[in-house]
Formats: sequence, C-alpha cells, structure tokens
Amino acid sequence: MEKEVLIAQLKTIVQPYIQDEEAFNNLSENTDFVKDLKINSANLVDVILDVEEVFDIFIENADMEKMISVKAAMDIINEKLAAK
Amino acid sequence: MIGNDVVDLKVAALESNWMRPGFLDKVFSEEEQEVILNSENKSQMVWLFWSMKEAAYKIYVQQCGLRIFNPKKLRCERLSENKGLVHFNGYKYATKSEITTDFINTWAYLETSVNALIHCFKITDSLYKTQSLAARQKLLKSFSEIKKVSEVDLEIRSRKNNVPRLFYKGYEQRDSFSIAHHGFYGAYAISFLLPILNFNTQPLC
Repeated sequence: MEKEVLIAQLKTIVQPYIQDEEAFNNLSENTDFVKDLKINSANLVDVILDVEEVFDIFIENADMEKMISVKAAMDIINEKLAAK
Repeated sequence: MIGNDVVDLKVAALESNWMRPGFLDKVFSEEEQEVILNSENKSQMVWLFWSMKEAAYKIYVQQCGLRIFNPKKLRCERLSENKGLVHFNGYKYATKSEITTDFINTWAYLETSVNALIHCFKITDSLYKTQSLAARQKLLKSFSEIKKVSEVDLEIRSRKNNVPRLFYKGYEQRDSFSIAHHGFYGAYAISFLLPILNFNTQPLC
C-alpha cells in the first residue's frame, strides 16, 4: 500500500487515543505511539484491534510486540496484506 | 530496581472496553483469562493483572533497555489478595498492590528487600501534561526531602528508551524509580540505594 495512504489511515485509527495534539499533527513514520503520542498502553491494545478490523488482518502477539511506532506498524500491516 | 503502575478504575471503565472481542486474548494468558472470568469483580481483576504486568515491564526496560509491547508474555501469579509474582524472560518480579474501589496502585521489585518509598495521590486535572508534571514535581520533592538536598540541584531526565533517571548537579544517580499516572491519579515508587545520602558525582557509563 502507498506510504502516504497508509499513514493517513493509521492517523485516523490512533486519533481517539492520542494525548499529545502537537505530536499528532506532526505524525510521521518516526512517530512513537507511547513516547510521542502518549497513547496509554491499554489503548495501544485498541489501536492493534482497530488495525486488525480496518485492514482485515490478524496480528499475532509476536508481531504486536514490535508495534510501538508508526513505522513498525506500517511494516507489519504491509507484510500481512502481502500475505493475504 | 522498582517499577510501578496506577489505574484510575473509573477512567479505565470509560476509556477501555476490555470486553471488546480480542482484547483479553491479546493481553492475558488462558490461565489469567480464566481467573478474570471466574472472579466476582472482573474489571478489578483485569486492571490488577494489567498493573502487575505494566509495573514488572517497567523494571524489565530498566534492566534491558528494550521496549516491546507484549503484555501477554508477562505471566501473573497471585500469591494473595494484593501480592503477586510476574514471570517474564526468566525473570521473576514480586508485586504488591494497593486496591481500592477508585484505583489500583501496583509496584514491582526485583530484590527481596528493597528500601522503597511508594506514594499514590489524586490529581485534580486529568490532562496528560499536567499529570506528568505534577507527578514529577512530587517525586523531586520527595527525593529532596529524603536525600536532604535542594530541589534546585535535582532533575529528572528521560533516557532514549523512555526510562526516567534522577540527576544530582548534572550527574546521573543510580537510584531506581518509576512514575505513573492515569485518569485522576498519579503515583511514584523509589527504591533507594544505601546509604541514602550518598551521591554519585561521576558520569555513569
């Protein structure tokens, strides 16, 4: 999937959970969900579940383990979509 | 080393729907899910286990410097109403929790006997920035009182892996501590190295 499209979709997914507007407005590949967006870790589970729903994929815990940044999430989504 | 976590139970009920399909399975082992589903107060058990995992994870990051997101891998064992163990990657973390109808404050520690100071407090504002600042200020005040130095000489800085460290006159200290805040509650836990009044005045490698 095209990078910009994917980032835009991820941005919509994380929006309800962010606690730092500025970091959200500047969201890029390098944005960290916890350090930058201040998403609380229980809501990070919601982010993962939302990603599964939106992209119709299943994320195993071994993959979830790495999903702490936008870049890592993009890599895993692309990997799962390619395997479909 | 010490780690902590606090959960505002009322805010958690609004923010997180643990009954959402898939949620429990992403976070808890089958055994943990069984304990949760068989307990009288399921929400309280969810957040008790969650805070145990989170507090233990915060020690793991201090030990290994590695951040991961896989709460299911941290296995909770209950020893009593408010005491437990968390098993992860060959480590065993002991936990204690303060459980009320409003919040759960859990701290985890590695050593069998720690000189720990635990404090949980209410914050009137639930804004992230206000909370974070309030919790850090309270922690610095506590450090300055116990170590008998001026707050001006103390500072908290976060390392790259998000682990906060205490600095005295610009020098990093070895004392382990942990800060948490959620909803309208803040908490910190400090594990002091003895003697408490000693300071490191050399760069740590």
